Amino acid sequence: MSDFSLYVNKGTWLNKMHPYTKLLYILAAICIPVIGGKLWLFPVMILCSICLLACGRTLRRALPLVAFSFTLIIVIFLIQGLFNHANETILFSIGILTFYKEGLLYATRIGLNILNMLLSFAVFVLTTSPMELVDELEKSGFSPKFGYIINSVFQIIPQMMKSKDTIMDAQRSRGMETEGKLWVRVKALFPMISPVVMSSLVNTRERAIALEVRGFGRKNKKTFLYERPKHKGDRAIGVFLVLMIIAVTVWRIVSCL
Amino acid sequence: MLNVFKTKLSAATIVLIPACIGINYLGKLIASVLKLPLWLDSIGTCIGGCLGGPIIGAICGALNNLIYGLTTGDNITLIYALTSLGIGLVVGILARLGFMETFPKSLICAVGGGLAAVVISTPLNILFWGGTTGNVWGDALFTLTQAQGMSVAFGSFLDELVVDVPDKLLTVVIVYLLLKGAPQKLTSLYDVNAEVERLD
Repeated sequence: MSDFSLYVNKGTWLNKMHPYTKLLYILAAICIPVIGGKLWLFPVMILCSICLLACGRTLRRALPLVAFSFTLIIVIFLIQGLFNHANETILFSIGILTFYKEGLLYATRIGLNILNMLLSFAVFVLTTSPMELVDELEKSGFSPKFGYIINSVFQIIPQMMKSKDTIMDAQRSRGMETEGKLWVRVKALFPMISPVVMSSLVNTRERAIALEVRGFGRKNKKTFLYERPKHKGDRAIGVFLVLMIIAVTVWRIVSCL
Repeated sequence: MLNVFKTKLSAATIVLIPACIGINYLGKLIASVLKLPLWLDSIGTCIGGCLGGPIIGAICGALNNLIYGLTTGDNITLIYALTSLGIGLVVGILARLGFMETFPKSLICAVGGGLAAVVISTPLNILFWGGTTGNVWGDALFTLTQAQGMSVAFGSFLDELVVDVPDKLLTVVIVYLLLKGAPQKLTSLYDVNAEVERLD
């Protein structure tokens, strides 16, 4: 497994949970505030995700993911706070910039939604091995070809990175400039990208022949190398999450009537 | 009649999909190494569309974003799976209709792919981020249109347009040059209308 995936096995109960249960958690975390329509539901779900991340001992690894989204959130706050069409009530002003209540409220909603989605995905991504997810998908009826595609992405990318580094060094030693004005950098693009892409395309031919020789296209039933131990909590948590989504939906419908 | 959507699901096309996803990742990486103000993250999707046809292009695009979204935690990418799917589909269809044969025609193909991206991304941008795209140049333009009092939809459309169309132009030009240089023993693997002749 490469360092391309963010997953680390810490041996906590979150690692042992079924991937589907964690996917259901993402669905619930995103649906509940959106269906519920109340602003306070976002912080509740965000707190929930943070607690889960802490349980999985991956809170620190989630930080860079969140930090990445902050620039986006700040841009949204600036644009909506200053220029939203519904802006009427002035909240405060810094110099010539005037921030309005309506725009900021809208930005808060979007910002919280982004944070909520990011954190709930982090719970899944940081505690689930992609290999395990693919295995489970195949067991529940996805085509093994599909499984092959996903697993081989994880093998191909580190290979391509290596050949990219080699080619970049080779081209630089021939005098290609990779720094400087925009035009210089644009010119460097093609000599860098074409050898890597070409070699990986040519490799596909050999890979295809190798696979066909090993009976890749056979239609008979495939067996699995790993048996995953069942976790007791999967069912209970799954039922609870589905009930929560139904409860919120009912609550919204009732409050609308 | 030439069937545009005809797809061969051989081992060769199955192997092509992960390679294309890798190329997408590589394009994005090289764009960031060279600090280009473009994404270049759909080179692989376009290659998939040109070689394997629209269906393979669409699968490449959608899987690309799903895999990155679910492994690197970058769920902003995840939402744009629809956009990538559209790009792969449109470029694939246009390539099958012969728009990748000459250089001027490939530019039309690029604009088609770019417009597909704009049309699908704009509603997603408005829905999730209130109209911004996260690209500096596009967002500056968006801010300008909002300050002028234009509608969010129009501003967001322009925001996406100025970023996506140049991006796809460069992408398709790269793809065109690459595929022109690709050896025939490779491209013939993906030729759907090829007949296998038996000697016995």
